[in-house]
Amino acid sequence: MMYILEKKRLNQILSDWAQNYEVYVPQKVENYAQFLPYHPSSIINLSDPHKTRYPPKALFLPQSEVMLKYDSRLGRFEDVNSHQSPRIIFGMRPCDAKALTLLDTVFDTEEYSDPYWKARRESTVIIGLGCVEPPQTCFCTTVDGGPFNHEGLDAILTEFDEQYFIEVLTEKGEIIFNQLQLATNQQEEQIRHLQTEAYKEMEPAFETSGLKAKLDKIFESRYWEEIAESCLGCGICTFLCPTCFCFDIVDEVQRNERVRNWDTCMFRIYSLEASGHNPRPTRKERTRQRLMHKYSYWLEHINQIGCTGCGRCVRYCPVGLDIRAMLRTASIYESEVVHAG
Amino acid sequence: MQDNGHNPYSPMPMRIVRAYYESNDYSLKTLELVFDNQKDRETFFEKFNPGQFCQLSIFGKGEAPFGVASAAWEGDFVRFTIQKMGSFTQYAHKLKAGDPIGMRGPLGNGFPLMDWKGKTLVIIGGGCAFSTLYALTKHVHHPQNRQDFDQLVVIYGARTSGLCMYKHDIQSWYQRDDMELHQAIDVPEDDWSHHVGYVPDVVREVAPSPQNAVAVVCGPPIMTKFTLPVLVDLGFAPETIFTSLEKRMKCGIGKCGRCNIGSKYICKDGPVFSLAELNALPADI
Amino acid sequence: MDELKARLRVEIERLFDEDIVDVVIAFKKEDSPLRPQPAFFRSRDNLDSLEYNALCQNNLANYLTRYSHETRIGIVVRGCESRSVYALVVEKQHPRENLYLIGVPCDGIIDLRKIFHLTGEEITGYAENLGVVFVEYKGAVYKFSRNELLHDSCLRCVHPNPVNADILIGEPLPEGDPLFVRTAVESFEALTKEERYAWFQHEAERCIRCYACREACPMCYCTECFVDHNPPRWTESTGSPAGTHAWHIIRAFHQAGRCTSCGACERACPMDIKMTYLTDKLNEDMLNIYHFETGMDDKTQPPFASFNLDDRNRFTA
Repeated sequence: MMYILEKKRLNQILSDWAQNYEVYVPQKVENYAQFLPYHPSSIINLSDPHKTRYPPKALFLPQSEVMLKYDSRLGRFEDVNSHQSPRIIFGMRPCDAKALTLLDTVFDTEEYSDPYWKARRESTVIIGLGCVEPPQTCFCTTVDGGPFNHEGLDAILTEFDEQYFIEVLTEKGEIIFNQLQLATNQQEEQIRHLQTEAYKEMEPAFETSGLKAKLDKIFESRYWEEIAESCLGCGICTFLCPTCFCFDIVDEVQRNERVRNWDTCMFRIYSLEASGHNPRPTRKERTRQRLMHKYSYWLEHINQIGCTGCGRCVRYCPVGLDIRAMLRTASIYESEVVHAG
Repeated sequence: MQDNGHNPYSPMPMRIVRAYYESNDYSLKTLELVFDNQKDRETFFEKFNPGQFCQLSIFGKGEAPFGVASAAWEGDFVRFTIQKMGSFTQYAHKLKAGDPIGMRGPLGNGFPLMDWKGKTLVIIGGGCAFSTLYALTKHVHHPQNRQDFDQLVVIYGARTSGLCMYKHDIQSWYQRDDMELHQAIDVPEDDWSHHVGYVPDVVREVAPSPQNAVAVVCGPPIMTKFTLPVLVDLGFAPETIFTSLEKRMKCGIGKCGRCNIGSKYICKDGPVFSLAELNALPADI
Repeated sequence: MDELKARLRVEIERLFDEDIVDVVIAFKKEDSPLRPQPAFFRSRDNLDSLEYNALCQNNLANYLTRYSHETRIGIVVRGCESRSVYALVVEKQHPRENLYLIGVPCDGIIDLRKIFHLTGEEITGYAENLGVVFVEYKGAVYKFSRNELLHDSCLRCVHPNPVNADILIGEPLPEGDPLFVRTAVESFEALTKEERYAWFQHEAERCIRCYACREACPMCYCTECFVDHNPPRWTESTGSPAGTHAWHIIRAFHQAGRCTSCGACERACPMDIKMTYLTDKLNEDMLNIYHFETGMDDKTQPPFASFNLDDRNRFTA
């Protein structure tokens, strides 16, 4: 069953929702799109096939988040309220939504539940926008995803002509869509065809079966030196990645706040110990950690690859490193062969 | 550690009740903490197991992980011995009785005492890493716990006699008939009648039997590195050799991603690992 | 370009044949389309992957500080890159005698983002000929003049020719017009104080503290950067205006007398932040106040990194 929303009515429906929810929608910032709170004069940008640069994971795990405010003299502190008012995120791509379900297994465990993450997840409705023309740098289908994948979404939209065709996936999604025209069977068939074509367009970027075993096997090999040689060790791939979650907790002394900030295994000081010892002293160990975490360790934790194929790391790496090529090279890497250049 | 709705990042308010130097060079200081809230204290001791650690929190300085150096029966306090190393520990050394401090814990897996029931414990420690082994030994000393284990052998090495921790208590261990104690220092000193030499050599000399035994090794990486082969040579199987690892930590609850070795987080799946488990992990330490 | 590439290859082969170098830093054909990557050749094998064109975005001098001083490094350098190399030599980051500079006069790097802005991002083909760039996007071919697409720093380039290269591959190009070079700084200076701060804030607020600008910069090689230092905590790592503004401003000042205006920082930034206007102005100040231009030889010390008793320059001029 699909509903139809005329594109020209989008502003109206967003404004209606904004009466009761904080609404986030991709908007134009400089030359790209970013999820920002909606207001009537927002310049909505849903047509950027490359999704938002800054990942929507930031709406659940903000780049900087105050956890407590303290008085260091008295040794007293107060928690910052983790309450989150209801939100609707409109236009999230399936790769970003699936990533949130992966991060749930980190932040919302039985033993320790992250109250900030949990509050945001529970109070947010996520409406996805499927990818009719997946860009060349995307590889969601290679990692058990897809341009119209449902995981993590409460509803999913398919764009066609001047309309959005809406499939409601959960109860949360049901609540906010009402009084919309239903699509005819013929129209539904057309949309399903579009979706299937989008899946088919995406060729596998690398072979995933046996990949983990191979990566484990070449852990000590020179392969990582070759990969790391041009890597700058900046934080772009990790910060823009929807499944990366590492964070730093630091006391900001100028403001008397204990803050959680995104951190990255690519930085030297990430694992630097007070004694001066660094378990990952060179770029090689750090680049290796990133790939191993995504394509080996995640599998040991939840039997899923820790990457949803969004392709941001491929597009924004300043030196053009392509994780798909790195993995293809890894799967055929023979330790005896020394590659030059 | 979890009550419903409790924020795992919030430290429990604690107060320092005793603070004193352990070593004659002032590099090691012991802090004993008591709980401001009774509920926190109850929850803590319900869950606490030797080998676990806590994140101590000083506002304005941050947090750092320290192994708990006391056994639950010793009293309503929690003991830590802190080596002065970086910005946090330098400040911690300035703390005195009455000062407030925060604590999150107990964290980590602790020693698998249930699996060790009925076995001989060979406890090998070096330097300031002995603190959690001290907690373990104290735990075993309690009459109710002692009957759970067979023999108890403790080997503890420090660079000099002045750097030995818990001197007074350890002296009294020589009078006990329920354990064997081997202390060592690196170079001979007047008035030192115990072993002289590095811990791996002392272990070789003492030659504990692997028969129905587990060995726990905690020390500076270099000591551990050379002690493990000695134990293997003596016949200890990798499943029976245990160690406690350290890495830079922040959240302590397996969420910030930092302290991993392979797929294991030292804060959550450790810090205690058997050699068999470590052998299965990539060399990332 | 293909002829240039062929000549580069011949020279690199010679360097290995005559055992002059241990490694050659250049560019190689891409994994991702249109993105040549820095390459590290250790022998004549694999030189098939050698690439050189206007899409080579990175400043290769950045990699010099990764090698021990004994390593003999051959490096393909354009104008600004060669000056970065000399800036590093002057700061003793690598001995000149263990460097072999393969100089290529540069007519500018094409800013991929400018292409994306004009067409869209799914570029499937790229070629250039005599100042015209052809871009294939969604089956159609678009034509642009080179100047439209050059990276801003390249538009303002004064020294396109490598400085004191060991060999020059390609014809020298005319120097840039210093007056034209000023235009970005001029337009910023024309703003009022409030407008300048508003512009700075507008750019800086997009910053996500990924430090790609720092890592892409050849002169940012400090083992411990000021933002990582604790205690004392010089700047917040938190993404607050205070921390981010401090990051941008202090990094710019740390570049005074060291930056060659290559623009690698801007090209690396994933949030399209403009930052070269700060360093361009500082470079201009260094020239006007201290008569110093970075990397023009391998001897002259940068003013803020040196002292001698005859120094008559005042710090506040």
